[in-house]
Amino acid sequence: MTTITTGLNMGPPIAPPGTPVAVDYSVAPEQVSLWQDAWRRFRRNKLSLAGMVVFSLVILMAIVSIFWTPYSLFSQGLGDITDPLSLKHPFGLDASGRDVLSFIMKGAQVAIVVGVLTAVITSMVGIAAGLLAGFFRGWVDAVVSGITYIGYGIPNLLIAFLILFITNRPSIFNVIIALSVTSWMDMARLVRGQTLALREREFVEAARATGTKNFAIMVRHVLPNALGPIIVQATFLIPAAILFEAFLSFLGFGLPSPDPSWGAMVSAGLQDRFLTYHTMIVPSLALVITLMAVNFIGDGLRDALDPRLKR
Amino acid sequence: MPAILEVKGLKTQFIVRGGIVRAVDGIDIKVNRGETVGIVGESGSGKSMAALSILRLVPEPGKIVEGSITFDGRDVLAMNDDELRKFRGNDVSMIFQDPMSSLNPVLKVGFQIEEAMKAHDRFTPEEAKARVPLLLRRVRIPDAERRAHEYPHQFSGGMRQRAMIAMGLSNEPEVLIADEPTTALDVTVQAQILEQLRDLNRELGTAIVLITHNMAVVANICTWVVVMYAGRVVEQGPTEEIFKSPQHPYTWSLLRSIPRIDEKLGGKLLTITGLPPDLTNLPPGCKFHPRCRFTVDRCFTEEPDLISVGPQHESRCWVQMTNVPDPDSDLREAPLVPEEENAAAV
Repeated sequence: MTTITTGLNMGPPIAPPGTPVAVDYSVAPEQVSLWQDAWRRFRRNKLSLAGMVVFSLVILMAIVSIFWTPYSLFSQGLGDITDPLSLKHPFGLDASGRDVLSFIMKGAQVAIVVGVLTAVITSMVGIAAGLLAGFFRGWVDAVVSGITYIGYGIPNLLIAFLILFITNRPSIFNVIIALSVTSWMDMARLVRGQTLALREREFVEAARATGTKNFAIMVRHVLPNALGPIIVQATFLIPAAILFEAFLSFLGFGLPSPDPSWGAMVSAGLQDRFLTYHTMIVPSLALVITLMAVNFIGDGLRDALDPRLKR
Repeated sequence: MPAILEVKGLKTQFIVRGGIVRAVDGIDIKVNRGETVGIVGESGSGKSMAALSILRLVPEPGKIVEGSITFDGRDVLAMNDDELRKFRGNDVSMIFQDPMSSLNPVLKVGFQIEEAMKAHDRFTPEEAKARVPLLLRRVRIPDAERRAHEYPHQFSGGMRQRAMIAMGLSNEPEVLIADEPTTALDVTVQAQILEQLRDLNRELGTAIVLITHNMAVVANICTWVVVMYAGRVVEQGPTEEIFKSPQHPYTWSLLRSIPRIDEKLGGKLLTITGLPPDLTNLPPGCKFHPRCRFTVDRCFTEEPDLISVGPQHESRCWVQMTNVPDPDSDLREAPLVPEEENAAAV
């Protein structure tokens, strides 16, 4: 039992001062924050939960590979490529007699770094551009939207090649930059649309009426309300980036050897197709499973964060 | 008494495809320190636009085209963006009609009130934090410390409006503009909120500009009434004076259309026929003449000025209700008399 008193010398109080008012809070609804609520809905989706577990394992694998791999990436001639899969080499050996599992682990590291960094950079650029365009409209919007439309018109593979040729040295960061340059527009468009809608909402007008600074309105009132779709979009950026990196590496424009990329491994495995298939299938499976896992997470997040789909 | 807020000849217009919408068409409003002013009028009379104009928050494509707004000797229309930002919330604050949508759904209520204070430098960040529960308690939100950490959806409608009032008052503004603060609330809560506003006005000396279409609300808490019609002030004066002897037929009709329990007239209620005028195409002469029961020839061609009809009491009418003998006779006996006959009687 809690006792509350009202009044404090402020006009006629609701109850005479000092009258104890019994308030029973036991029937009050459970206090849930926005994110707790979203998590509760996310948990209900078993597929997304499975995706989360798988993606966590991939991340764990990537982290472990920084410190330890079963065999060094440089130790060749551990056996023959046609050797059957064994406990010593669960995913077998490649054409140079190197341990495929070690490469898959290192490859996870590359995939995660490329995927996550691209998603982060793309989101930051896209959010900033979209917020500015949607909030200030006028010429700012014209410039941002103009660049967005031009960006859509240019094939992203072309831009990726251009950047890789200009820098003339394939590296993980060049791949990330190439990916970011070609994929921030979607995020910018999404955030711009959300901002345009949110800036007309009454709480933004109320914030203006209390003299809130433009920057604070953007960051505190507009952005948090658009966070749901932004997170979903950013999540879907991760598999897109991983796939694009694999694709570039498959074509031979990705990371230089011996940096292991799953895409490059599939490409190399293709050369071995007359001897064996595991060098092609294992990295392909790694890619497919990871991409599916992240996509399932994205689906689950979309359902959990979109209040209109609330069940 | 020195006026803290003075609006003179304000004209706010929207230039749209169909022409110019004269939302506010030359109004003069004076708000004294610590006064409660009611702005009354039906939908489309320009009362909300007048309020938004004072804070220069007129939505696109609206523009303030003429007039002056002076706050404490400072010209509001000449302020640059930064001065304007400091003026809003700090000097004049505003609360809106719908408390459901005026609070940001993803931020905690206390945090939003704190932010309103941090936007200005009247209080340090520490003071701002400490003031949140005090403000919530002042607007009688029980268990303020806990409530400050809740989200708007955990508040009831009345509590949200209280929280909005707390936010509006957080920087101790001289003037609080309340745009239909009780319209979205149910009747019992309305009464509490109004009582709240009256108390705050008394305790803090904050002048309140209350915008409403509800005469009863005005009678409740305002000392001064401004009646608006078609973007104009048609009558203004002390509340008592206006309620006792309304001079403009519009004000009279408004009052005559409310049932009163203290009156034993036993007559019919009046309805104001017709619709508010099209603001892009205003009628000539007095803007109220198409709906007026007491017109004379002059009403159709010439627009009257605000004429002094008593101490501090002004009305924009050629007839003035004092000159109409027994205006509601027809309401007591026969059904509504056609307008022509009525005009002839005058």
